[in-house]
Amino acid sequence: MTIPTPRDGHAPADPPPTTASSATAESAPPAETMTRSDTTENGGLALKTGGDVPAPPAGDDGGDGPGDVVLRLTDVVKTFPGVRALDGVQLEVRAGEVHCLLGQNGAGKSTLIKTLAGVHHADGGEITWLGQPFAPATPQAAMRAGIATIYQELDLVDDLSVAENAFLGHEDTRFGFTRRRSTAQKTREILSRLGHPEIPPRTAVRDLPAAGKQIVSMARALSHDAKLIVMDEPSAVLAHDEVENLFRIIQGLTSQGIAVIYISHRLEEIREIGDRVTVLKDGRTTAANLPARTTPTRDLVSRMTGRTIEYVFPPRRPAEKREPLLVVEGLSRKGEFADASLTVAPGEIVGIAGLVGSGRSELLETIFGARRADSGTVTLDGQRITGVGRAVRKGMGMAPEERKSQALLLDEPIYKNMTLASFSGFAKVGFTDAGGERKAAEKTADLLELRPRDVTRPVRTLSGGNQQKVVVGRWLLDDTKLLLLDEPTRGVDVGARAELYQVIQDLAERGVGVLLVSSEVPEVLGLADRVLVMREGRIIREAPAPEIDEDTVLDLVMSGSLTTESILEGEPA
Amino acid sequence: MTTQTAPPEAPTKPERRKLDENALRNLGLVGVLILLIIVGIITKPDLYSDPTWVKNNFLTILQQASAIGVVTVGMTFVIIGGGIDLSVGAIVAIAGVWSTTLATQSYGAGGMIFTAIIVGTVVGLINGVLIAYGKLVSFIATLAMMVAARGLAAQISGKQTQISTNSTINDIASTRPLGIPLLVWILAVVVIAGWVLLNRTTFGRRTVAVGGNPEAARLAGINVKRHTMLLFALSGLCCGIAAIMLTSQATSAQAAMANLYELDAIAAAIIGGTLLSGGRGTIVGALFGVLVFSTITNLFAINNLPTEVQNMVKGGIIVAAVLIQQFRFQSLTQLFKR
Amino acid sequence: MSALSRRRILFGGAAVGAGALLTACTSNEPDNSAQVNTNTDASANPNAAAGEKVVIGFTAPAADHGWIAAITNNAKAQAAAYPDVEFKPVEAGADAAAQRAAISTLVAQKPTVIVMLPHDGKELDSAGLEAMKAGIPVINLDRAFPSQAAFRLQIKGDNYGMGLAAGHYIGEQMKAKNIASPIIGEIPGIDSLELTQERSAGFKTALAEYGFKVANRRPAEFTADSGQAAATALLQALPKMDALWNHDDDQGIGVLAAIKQTNRSEFFMVGGAGSKAAIDAIKADNSVLKATVTYSPSMASSAISLARLIGQGKGMSDLVELQVPKEITLASETITKDNADAYAKLGF
Repeated sequence: MTIPTPRDGHAPADPPPTTASSATAESAPPAETMTRSDTTENGGLALKTGGDVPAPPAGDDGGDGPGDVVLRLTDVVKTFPGVRALDGVQLEVRAGEVHCLLGQNGAGKSTLIKTLAGVHHADGGEITWLGQPFAPATPQAAMRAGIATIYQELDLVDDLSVAENAFLGHEDTRFGFTRRRSTAQKTREILSRLGHPEIPPRTAVRDLPAAGKQIVSMARALSHDAKLIVMDEPSAVLAHDEVENLFRIIQGLTSQGIAVIYISHRLEEIREIGDRVTVLKDGRTTAANLPARTTPTRDLVSRMTGRTIEYVFPPRRPAEKREPLLVVEGLSRKGEFADASLTVAPGEIVGIAGLVGSGRSELLETIFGARRADSGTVTLDGQRITGVGRAVRKGMGMAPEERKSQALLLDEPIYKNMTLASFSGFAKVGFTDAGGERKAAEKTADLLELRPRDVTRPVRTLSGGNQQKVVVGRWLLDDTKLLLLDEPTRGVDVGARAELYQVIQDLAERGVGVLLVSSEVPEVLGLADRVLVMREGRIIREAPAPEIDEDTVLDLVMSGSLTTESILEGEPA
Repeated sequence: MTTQTAPPEAPTKPERRKLDENALRNLGLVGVLILLIIVGIITKPDLYSDPTWVKNNFLTILQQASAIGVVTVGMTFVIIGGGIDLSVGAIVAIAGVWSTTLATQSYGAGGMIFTAIIVGTVVGLINGVLIAYGKLVSFIATLAMMVAARGLAAQISGKQTQISTNSTINDIASTRPLGIPLLVWILAVVVIAGWVLLNRTTFGRRTVAVGGNPEAARLAGINVKRHTMLLFALSGLCCGIAAIMLTSQATSAQAAMANLYELDAIAAAIIGGTLLSGGRGTIVGALFGVLVFSTITNLFAINNLPTEVQNMVKGGIIVAAVLIQQFRFQSLTQLFKR
Repeated sequence: MSALSRRRILFGGAAVGAGALLTACTSNEPDNSAQVNTNTDASANPNAAAGEKVVIGFTAPAADHGWIAAITNNAKAQAAAYPDVEFKPVEAGADAAAQRAAISTLVAQKPTVIVMLPHDGKELDSAGLEAMKAGIPVINLDRAFPSQAAFRLQIKGDNYGMGLAAGHYIGEQMKAKNIASPIIGEIPGIDSLELTQERSAGFKTALAEYGFKVANRRPAEFTADSGQAAATALLQALPKMDALWNHDDDQGIGVLAAIKQTNRSEFFMVGGAGSKAAIDAIKADNSVLKATVTYSPSMASSAISLARLIGQGKGMSDLVELQVPKEITLASETITKDNADAYAKLGF
């Protein structure tokens, strides 16, 4: 598949990205834009630009991998409305290797593996699989071609047996009847290959622990005779000793010549199991085929975070000391977060950095009253907050993480979305005042530079950034004192990000307190006056933004399990 | 690469498109109505040549649509609000039966009307509490209520047909202010009130928000549970009104009355453009949906065609309406995808 | 608080009201409206003389319609009229399976005779056989068993005969009025039921003898509101009509309401089944309802009387046979103003 992409013109000779545009570009911090350095000190390969064959270009049997190149992606592009999820991805996977994909949330890893799995279809670029152009129309087609994907949320049918799950969709049948005995036998063979002959093929999957379910997923992949298995954060659901077992299984697979694409946030796992690493950022490959064991952590991290033009932050105001507006004390929810205490003052932006699953979104929703706290208190202006209705009435607003499913009525016009929290205030004796709402919404739209400005258009038609402005605008209409922002720039294209940052900054100027959660560390550091770092449900560090840097935060956020592990390893020794 | 180009904007004029979509669907339903009438004229020219009969026929169609029309208005609210009410027929029956017991009849027409409306609203409220606060799926809760309310109605009536001896009640069905049946006036009032409630009040706005995206509504500070409960109470209220209308038409009530009204009401709401998943729908469309069914019944009656065929045609129209809705929706989303 | 107390009053009232709904077509009070054979004077009828004690087990489906309610009431009332009869009713439950279980229980109690109205004759055939095998004579009411060995006596109404009677009545009236090609409407009950089809077939056959046919046919569902809807549609389709047969007097309440609402009176109407309200209306002669053809629940009273005779080994005194015959089909009779008085006590 060689669909021409808008990026086709970008040859290595192209001007550096920073010149791409305009005033914002000039005000950008001087380039830490490392993305185009040609080599790293470790000899890993630099980013390959459009059209280039990944080096070493000495043909498919080039020497540094264990086997032949089975999969090659060149300049793959995938756009969604308003977002360029993949923006020129290069990837090369060899038979029998564990190829790690590294990248922050939103870097495009999920889109990439879904493209390989036939869920999404690339808009441009080239994918070759076993030397042939490859464009799976459906997940089944990808499976048949020998690419199996194991998602984080395992797609097993809980009430079917292990064997039935392994052969789901290509059951062993005769005259339309499933052959239970032979299916069970084949499943047993596959499970032995995976080193787990003890799993009974006829047990319902429901009764297996998470690790067992993962093995069934892998058995399904092998039942298809997969030559490449993609694993999306397989260790996320596993306990420590189960991870060891997973690694043993993966090693068993690679020794049979099967290639594995391994996605994880945990660097130490990549070190242990990976052969080579490809780093993604903002839908682009920023480094390819780095040696997994020897590339320094700092290098990997900087390639994931390399600052580019998108992080254009308005100048920081001098912080002024004021009485806190929001006081959270000892807030806990079982299994989500524990003993969280924090404050936000009027006009202050407080940022929380943490990975998905660190409890940050749950904390935010609990502060807002959308989840009930097990213990602890939330007070706003000295008044207890116990539920969403009360939070809103007292002047709290929230832009939730999942904009589409949690914040917007996509088919309704912009103005009705903006007034969703305040239309009762416009109404007279229960009758809505659409004209008044429209006028107010237009004013807010101007303030936020919403495009298009026509507030009667359905929100569905807006780009991600403008949709986010609508959500933020909702709370501007409502005299909000404290705004909770959960991943405010997720799915927002880079142009609109700068504008959103300005909006957030302006809100703070006006005295609104902002509590911000983001997976993108630079965003937290660039916007916030104060930074909280969350890991595994706890706030582990608090510091004024100027006193902490990105790498420190990332170390805190990511190497959590490394730390735990070293403690564990330290004990018996 | 990070260019500052504006985000890819979706095609323009979508709001107009949406308005057009509603108008277009209603226009389509009017087209279907006209088509059905033309078929009537062609197949029964002798009847249609008599202007008095024609006028009477239209009034009959409207009158036969009135009770189910009132129920459909309530159903439309529930569906837009993201629920479904399978108990409407049973609520009509329990309200009708309760309001025609000898004891209730002794309170006179006012007592009967009051009873029907209170019983309908309270049963709807019970549905609402079970669904909103008991966290039952509305399909299950109202299915249970459907069975239970008919059971209670049978219990109260002793399985008898309870005749209404109240001439005021019985006269509702035969009174014709300004030449138009009172039942049709009631339907008109309920439809207009429903339209205003949905399109011009905070209640309506909440209904769309709760049905369109309950989580967004909740996080915007809307009391989703209370509103859900009120929606089912509203449906019950409509059933109470319909119970009186139907009692007056049949001059009696019994536990088996308003049989399968739930299906007719849901079907009418859906062919009127109400999205079964909630968040979208129109009262006018639902009214047209009811009228289409009523006109089909009329067309089949004047041609003495068997009701089996009539039911098949009804089913076909439901499927066709939903298919058309889907195709239009798909073409819209494809435009945005590109 | 006042709303609450009011509700309580209404509810209480409802319960009381349901029992004494005199205006409805039926009442639950057996003593004033049940159809009872009062021919119990021993001097005139030797069979009436008290004989050996007879225990009659009885089972019928829960009443969902006035007719079935009347069946149970009649049986109970008739049994009460005999001092030598002990009546043992058993709840038949919601479906055939429940009734089968009920009958097994009944058989175990060894009554002299069992009278039953089955949910479904075919499905309860085995239950009839079981009782008969246990030596208990079974009297089947209305819904025949396929096996001849499953019952001692079959007593039923005549659906086809109803249609015939209605058709003949309408035919004769048209002849008398000299209407050569009358416009005739028909409102059957639930169209998918066999009994409805039998009634319509009889009606069609009888009309054909006069060279008439049905101009329009709108089925209802045995309920008043569906009767009203069907009648409204029918009246709209036939701007002029000469005669109308409505299969069922219960749904006839709605049919008559629709006729009144449309101010139509150019035709006459024949009812079906023979409810008390219908008989009263015929007698009063103030509506379009001029006749009704019976399908009388009085068969339950007769069944009890015959069950007693079977239990005592007696025959029907007017017949030569020493035992009660095996099958009795009630004739469908036509009730008009002229004979309404005689039938008034049979209305249910």
